[in-house]
Amino acid sequence: MKWSQFFDTSIGKKLLVGATGFFLCSFVLVHLAGNVQLLYNDGGKAFNSYAAFMGHNSLIQFIAWGLKIVILLHAIIALQLTFSNRKARPVKYAINPGNQTSSWFSRQMAIMGSILLIFIIIHLADFWWKFHFGNVPTINYEATGEPVKDLYSTVQFAFKEGWLVALYVIGMIGLSFHLIHGFKSAFQTFGLNHVKYNGLINFIGVWLFGILIPIGFAAIPVVIFFK
Amino acid sequence: MGLTLKVWRQKNTKAQGGFETYQVKDISSEMSFLEMFDVLNERLINEGKEPIAFDHDCREGICGMCSMHINGRAHGPWAGTTTCQLHMRAFKDGDTITVEPWRAEAFPVLKDLTVDRGAFDRIIEAGGYISVNTGNAVDANAIPIPKDKADAAFAAAACIGCGACVAACKNSSAMLFVSAKVSQLAQLPQGEPERATRALNMVAQMDKEGFGSCTNTGACEAECPKEISLSNIARLNREFIRAGFTYEK
Repeated sequence: MKWSQFFDTSIGKKLLVGATGFFLCSFVLVHLAGNVQLLYNDGGKAFNSYAAFMGHNSLIQFIAWGLKIVILLHAIIALQLTFSNRKARPVKYAINPGNQTSSWFSRQMAIMGSILLIFIIIHLADFWWKFHFGNVPTINYEATGEPVKDLYSTVQFAFKEGWLVALYVIGMIGLSFHLIHGFKSAFQTFGLNHVKYNGLINFIGVWLFGILIPIGFAAIPVVIFFK
Repeated sequence: MGLTLKVWRQKNTKAQGGFETYQVKDISSEMSFLEMFDVLNERLINEGKEPIAFDHDCREGICGMCSMHINGRAHGPWAGTTTCQLHMRAFKDGDTITVEPWRAEAFPVLKDLTVDRGAFDRIIEAGGYISVNTGNAVDANAIPIPKDKADAAFAAAACIGCGACVAACKNSSAMLFVSAKVSQLAQLPQGEPERATRALNMVAQMDKEGFGSCTNTGACEAECPKEISLSNIARLNREFIRAGFTYEK
């Protein structure tokens, strides 16, 4: 089987969705670690120099563009699979079992993923676009240093809007529900199902990626809003 | 007990189907679900009406022919049970029971509750076997196999190909079936020579038949009358990855 055929099979496509999903899981970890600096009361010194470093380091910029391609790949292939899955059952059942045979989270992957994709587009337009191509005021923390873009203040200002904060919380609920099933599901797709590790994989998927990380992300706009 | 049955009736594959409602009386709680249909069909025949077509053969839970989606559940509400082994004590007097055929693009309805599961046969033909010379049966213990391996292979081989996994899956995915058929051979030395082509060809055929892909919801495992484990799907994925990355053709 050629590579092109291999990755055109249902399992091949799922492997691509799983691999990109794992990459995105590692991204949310790094992204949250960086974003926590938005909660520092240092006038944005730590966060802004971090943002300047991330925005100028060429290796990170390369990964950042790769990340956008990965998000698109993940979404396009998953949607493709979703549509072919819908086609596999042209006549629906009159009665469905609901949660009797599968978890609610496992059946909402496409919907939660779509919520996330819309969120990511709004999020990028809001801050990434502004940071790179918009007008962000600069700030100089040291007399001799280079002035850096004050993304910190832009964020603090943006999250005074209640509707934007609500949107971010909804986006993170989407992330939570997506990862509660998605993390462990990717392991299963890669064939990594083993009685000695399933418990740990499930625990990390639900508690770290499904609950702790989304709460961490959602806390940032909420805390800024009430500050 | 008396029951109201809403049964899917469809003349043939191309015809538009619909639900018909039937009242059945004096059903014993010790009857099987299919025996209840026998009672109804006898009455329909006596009334000069077309009996309800449904698949059945052994009626002891091993042939995999019976295929009814009962109140939203493949093979009805009992776990690890085929429709023929589902007994009427699972229901209460006065219940309304909705019975539908398996719903999948790859399982076209032939008539009423009967579907064509030929897609499964074609997947098996694509590689779900081992090539051996015919002749006298080989000594069963010629190749020593550890008990746990033999048990695991046997657990996968318990699949009766009834199609409940496809029926229960929201994507009409046949992954549990294919994984059982790959796993019963992948764990035994006899399966080794055709290991790569088996995984590649069976998956390719599965896709060609129009089954959906697996989203790991676990509905198949929950509904499987033979309680085939999801770990077999992980094994199929491993077999497929291994073959795809290492097989030269």
